[in-house]
Amino acid sequence: MKGLWLLLILLALVALAALPWYGSDVLVQFGISTLLLAVLAQGWNIIGGYTGYASFGNSVFYGLGAYGVAIAMVQWNLPFGVGMVFGVVLAVVFAFLLGLPVLRLRGHYFAIATLALAQVMAAIVSNIPLAGQNIGLVLPPLNNDRLFYELSLALLVLATLTVFWLTRSKFGFGLIAIRENEEGAAVMGVNTTLYKVMAFALSGIFTALAGGIHAYWITFLDPESAFDISLNVKMIIMAVFGGPGTVLGPVVGAFVLSAVSEVLSSEVTSIAGLFFGIVVVAAVVLMPRGVADVIRRFRTSGWRYFAENIKAHRL
Amino acid sequence: MDLFAQILVNGVLLGGLYAVMALGLALVWGVLNIVNLAHGAFIMLGAYLSWHLYTYLGIDPFLGLPITAILMFCLGYAVQRGLLNLIVRAPMFNTLLITFGLEVVLTYLAQIAFSADFRTINPSYAGAHISLGPLVIPLARLMAFGVAIVLTVGMWVFLLRTRLGRAIRATAQNLVAARLYGVEPRHLYAMTFGIGIGLAGAAGGLYGTVSQINPYIGATLTAKSFAIAIIGGLENPLGVIVGGLVLGIIESLTVAYVGATFGDVASFGVLVLVLIVRPSGILGKTA
Amino acid sequence: MSAILDVSHVTRRFAGLVAVNDVSFTLNRGEILGVIGPNGAGKTTLVSLISGTLPPSSGEISFEGHPISTLPAYRRARLGIGRTFQIMRPFPGLSVLDNVAVGALFGQGGGEADLKRARERARDQLEFVGLARHADQRADELGGPSRKRLELAKALAMQPKVLLCDEVMAGLNLVEIDEVIEVIRRVREQGISILVIEHVIKAIKSLSDRLLVIHHGEKIADDAPDAVLSDSRVIEAYLGRRRA
Repeated sequence: MKGLWLLLILLALVALAALPWYGSDVLVQFGISTLLLAVLAQGWNIIGGYTGYASFGNSVFYGLGAYGVAIAMVQWNLPFGVGMVFGVVLAVVFAFLLGLPVLRLRGHYFAIATLALAQVMAAIVSNIPLAGQNIGLVLPPLNNDRLFYELSLALLVLATLTVFWLTRSKFGFGLIAIRENEEGAAVMGVNTTLYKVMAFALSGIFTALAGGIHAYWITFLDPESAFDISLNVKMIIMAVFGGPGTVLGPVVGAFVLSAVSEVLSSEVTSIAGLFFGIVVVAAVVLMPRGVADVIRRFRTSGWRYFAENIKAHRL
Repeated sequence: MDLFAQILVNGVLLGGLYAVMALGLALVWGVLNIVNLAHGAFIMLGAYLSWHLYTYLGIDPFLGLPITAILMFCLGYAVQRGLLNLIVRAPMFNTLLITFGLEVVLTYLAQIAFSADFRTINPSYAGAHISLGPLVIPLARLMAFGVAIVLTVGMWVFLLRTRLGRAIRATAQNLVAARLYGVEPRHLYAMTFGIGIGLAGAAGGLYGTVSQINPYIGATLTAKSFAIAIIGGLENPLGVIVGGLVLGIIESLTVAYVGATFGDVASFGVLVLVLIVRPSGILGKTA
Repeated sequence: MSAILDVSHVTRRFAGLVAVNDVSFTLNRGEILGVIGPNGAGKTTLVSLISGTLPPSSGEISFEGHPISTLPAYRRARLGIGRTFQIMRPFPGLSVLDNVAVGALFGQGGGEADLKRARERARDQLEFVGLARHADQRADELGGPSRKRLELAKALAMQPKVLLCDEVMAGLNLVEIDEVIEVIRRVREQGISILVIEHVIKAIKSLSDRLLVIHHGEKIADDAPDAVLSDSRVIEAYLGRRRA
């Protein structure tokens, strides 16, 4: 059983990696944006899914990663790789400086504080000359979608392996303990403050890397798109739709929802947005623990699964 | 000095409107423990409702407020009864997500129904103002301010003096308490949410008389309402007046002295600061 | 006998209310110290002050001679203070085994580095408290009495030097109480010093070497169990003025 799963995942991975050699240009472009969204969902999974802190501020990391690359390449003429490192450094510094106070907040308060931080960052960056203020920055173009695709895929694999490692490590166990009962974790010896900040930073690193790749690929960057709050909500919904706190759930969620919204938006854009909202509402009511949980439990409960979820949470 | 006074007056007038915007959010949050991310979208709907009443039926936006509020109350009641009651006992994160989903749905429905164009409600007195020495006070804003204060104080009296109000306050402490007042909890929850959305509708009507509206104003209004609720606290409806005034004045000052692009930074910056500086005091209620 | 835990003039105020008022006592090595008092006397607050989930308003707490009042909870856990919660708070979504494994992974001295070793130790601990057959169940599926045992197993997996038990017998029937008493005695045989907070006087009387009585946040007695239970102030506190 386990071997079969591994084989399936490997096959899927090979098929994905080979896509630029058999897929159309449009498909490759769709692939890049989907893979990057999956990285964002997986990054959010670390702080939101495993640690239980519903960050609405991960788009800050994304923006910092994007600006790290853009500033390094445009203003300082440094190579892309250095820009990525710079973006990661910015993200980690942010995670520690603002994570420390903000991660003391719980529940709604944490969610909204991070949401507000994202707004503040966008406004601050649009007033920094080095970052091109609100006009933005134009990066040197690189017409190599194949490279961007493989980079994005590699990043997603790395992020997913990291999450897999979490499920097998002391660090990950500590994060889960914090999610399940923070005070209980502390009295059992978990350094909750340090663990939370490290999870926030780890989440930020992957998010920043995705932002960096995206900036170089799109070759243009402004505060509004870099710190876009709806992006933040997207990654959360993908992670939650797939199954937060599972290794593959966020990836599946990102793939499924991207595909559906791509198909719909080719028809009418506003319908795609509307559909997105309806999916979110229906998912919260019918499958609050994500696709992963549906797959696990549908076999035993059948259609009753959905009724059971409602029964468990209604007034 | 006159400029400063004028900015203060603007801030205070804006603050009154902010207070009534946050009132419904604070009520729903404090009693039902739902942070309604769709609150701003409901304000937006209220504004459009008011705009339609004025544009097509010629009903004055201030006189139309009760109609808007009642229609929005019905919508809120239905949403809570038919949808949110289904997930009330789910983890708080789920309630955030579902109300966010609602926000998206409402926004796109509004975009489809009303288009993305900016609208304004322009009654005959829209440009009128009162001069008070060197100060200029726009009439519509002053009226909006007055209605906002009346609504907020009225809410306070309602919660303290009426049986339903007491039942609602008791529910904030303990769900079982609602039964002691002989109110069915599902109905009580729906009533509370309905009142919250009715207030959002009224706030929307007021907002439409002083500002432009389009389908996308919801998210920012939610964030501001949240900031006000945090600053003012959930315990007492009068707290949102304080929160609204604080935010209104800070925003006016920032826009005047720092720059227009910093208006929102100021409000969200204040929100983050308040959260960070006194989290325990604020957390006391719902933690 | 040497003291392992020394509580000195500790006070804790909540807005306008003094939950613990100038309480001093020591817990000796290898001792079972019982703490009793009516509901709301401040017993649980005392445990929270020692374990570090609440800071004291004033006073000092020393563990093995070192002041610990300003240390965060996790540092105290690593020094060797384990506690149970009266309102049982397992990690609800984790299996019973993994609940206990958290204690083995972190706990006194920083715990195991290896997940597999931690689970092995957790399994031993479940065996010890008699929960082994529930190991793979989700913690929130356990019944009340089993949760009490789980609380004990979680704290014990930390290999603490001091164990603070907050009402581990409340809500149990007589047979279950006897079983828990037996477990606690065996814990002491491992050399662990124990502070037992309890409402059930009968249970605690037979278990404790010494009894501390807290009333309205103040210590009103600290002596051998028989002496304490015949003290008129204690009887008054428990049964009311008329019977005294």
